[in-house]
Amino acid sequence: MAVGTTRPRPAPAGPGARERRPARRRRTAAWHFLTFAAPGTLVYVCLVLLPIALSVGYSLTNQALLRPHTEFVGLRNYWLLLQDETFLQSLRVTAILSLIVVIVPNVLGVAIAVLLDRRGRIYNALRTVFFTPMVISSVVISVIWTRILADDGPVNQALRALGTREPPGWLSDPDLALYSLASIVCWQMLGFCVVVYLAGLQGVPQELLEAAAIDGAGAARRFRHVTWPLLAPALTVNTVVLLISAFKIFDQVKVVTNGGPGTGTTASVAFVVLQEGFVENRTGYASAEAVVMLIVVAGLSVVTLRFLQRREVQV
Amino acid sequence: MNRPSLPWLRPLVALAAGALFAIPLYIALINVFKHSRQVSADTMAPPAPPTLDNLVRVLTGPDSLFWSSLRTSVLVTSLSIVVLTTLSALLGHYLARHGGWWPRLIMVLLLCGLMIPPQVILIPVTQVLKALGLMSTIQGLVLFDIGYYVPFGVFVFSGFMKGVPRELEEAAAIDGATRWQTFWRIVFPLLRPATASVLIFLGVWIWNDFLNPLIIYGPRDGTTIMTGVYKSLGQYAADFGGMFALMFLATLPILTFYLLLQKHFVKGLTGGATKG
Repeated sequence: MAVGTTRPRPAPAGPGARERRPARRRRTAAWHFLTFAAPGTLVYVCLVLLPIALSVGYSLTNQALLRPHTEFVGLRNYWLLLQDETFLQSLRVTAILSLIVVIVPNVLGVAIAVLLDRRGRIYNALRTVFFTPMVISSVVISVIWTRILADDGPVNQALRALGTREPPGWLSDPDLALYSLASIVCWQMLGFCVVVYLAGLQGVPQELLEAAAIDGAGAARRFRHVTWPLLAPALTVNTVVLLISAFKIFDQVKVVTNGGPGTGTTASVAFVVLQEGFVENRTGYASAEAVVMLIVVAGLSVVTLRFLQRREVQV
Repeated sequence: MNRPSLPWLRPLVALAAGALFAIPLYIALINVFKHSRQVSADTMAPPAPPTLDNLVRVLTGPDSLFWSSLRTSVLVTSLSIVVLTTLSALLGHYLARHGGWWPRLIMVLLLCGLMIPPQVILIPVTQVLKALGLMSTIQGLVLFDIGYYVPFGVFVFSGFMKGVPRELEEAAAIDGATRWQTFWRIVFPLLRPATASVLIFLGVWIWNDFLNPLIIYGPRDGTTIMTGVYKSLGQYAADFGGMFALMFLATLPILTFYLLLQKHFVKGLTGGATKG
């Protein structure tokens, strides 16, 4: 690598080497900022920060594609949201999805990481298996699972073979579809949790476990009192990432159920915002929904992060 | 209780869990090589006899949907990740080496960007891109990808910079190198593990992205590979074999990319670099 070409010099950067005229120095500093920091910052500001400000602005108007004149309506959109059953239902849907998607992959992830925390070819291969869904598009995953959970799909074929007269409609029953959808996302995210917990397990000192074993602690108590507290940072990372991912869930809803069956039984907030914004074209109202969504995500992530990080410090 | 009494139990349970977890992957793979009738009749059965008809049908389809989407996706992904890696390495380096309230503010704003769902900003983004004349273009999609993923790149690079000794840069400055030269000749090569992980993650995310191309690039003027898969759901509604073949072909390039780059997660390149 290019490392070989750098010959370290013992001479420290003395004041003599740094002394330049201040004007020139300021110009160099400005040039340095322009070449290194400005391009990335500029794109970010124009395509992420400015749109957030615009969203807040739009949310105070009645902007819509078919309406010729956009008017300022103040907080009316937010007032309407409080009575909008579609939106309120989407919040409930997202709450259920998030709860399942935060808890299940975390619990299964830590179990599988402990199971796979050994050297050997089997374990290496299995790690790859669990990680593979992370490299596959959620569109592809959604189509595969749509086939698996279809009324005449392999799951129900197996259930019929076992003698079930009327196997459940995993994706067609309005009471079940949301949970089937959550399971798909859990399957997809599990590999991420396993990898993070495996990395965390690498940081558990073997001596501590041995000391606990000598003191007579069984496997369960060793895990509870030594391993699990030391996995706190991994739990923080997984929980926050899962929470944010759960709020973004759109692809799976769009491909697998398109919000149904029935009315909006699986329509997540992310799905409803885009539906309102790009299908109904009521961009002002959709922006109000988007702003509420942003506030909820940001609030929940910060609170969760604070809470879990405080727990890390205690260890 | 300390010595495991059943040494075969762990591998057995691990294998069982792995097998159960891998069923969808198995289904995705074997059905590429089965006739559509067999797919719907018995999804789990192995392909007997295996057939390449599905792959051939997708690759030689009259609308050449696969090839045109593939071209778009390769273009969008490679452009995005090259520009993103460059910009976020430069910005990450700048922020890691500068204190003061101004760089710190940029850092905080970027970290906030890590948790912003794209749905929150897509409506105004389409209007910004429309104003720039970039809606429904590859450039527009690439530009948004850059803005949206720059926080992740900066996060990885600036974190990694902490392990890169400052002395190297100071030595180069004394030798008369400009900051630009120092960065590209000395610092950037040392960031290789960070570069590899940024390339892998962003490559996978952007290739697999569905929402942004759906909204920004739009299905009317063409598709990326994943919006292409979505668009052909109707076309392949009765042709499960073709669908599985298309999905297999859409995943293969990024899987290969991932496996190739994974080897480059080389760590400890700076070890010994500053020893006399």
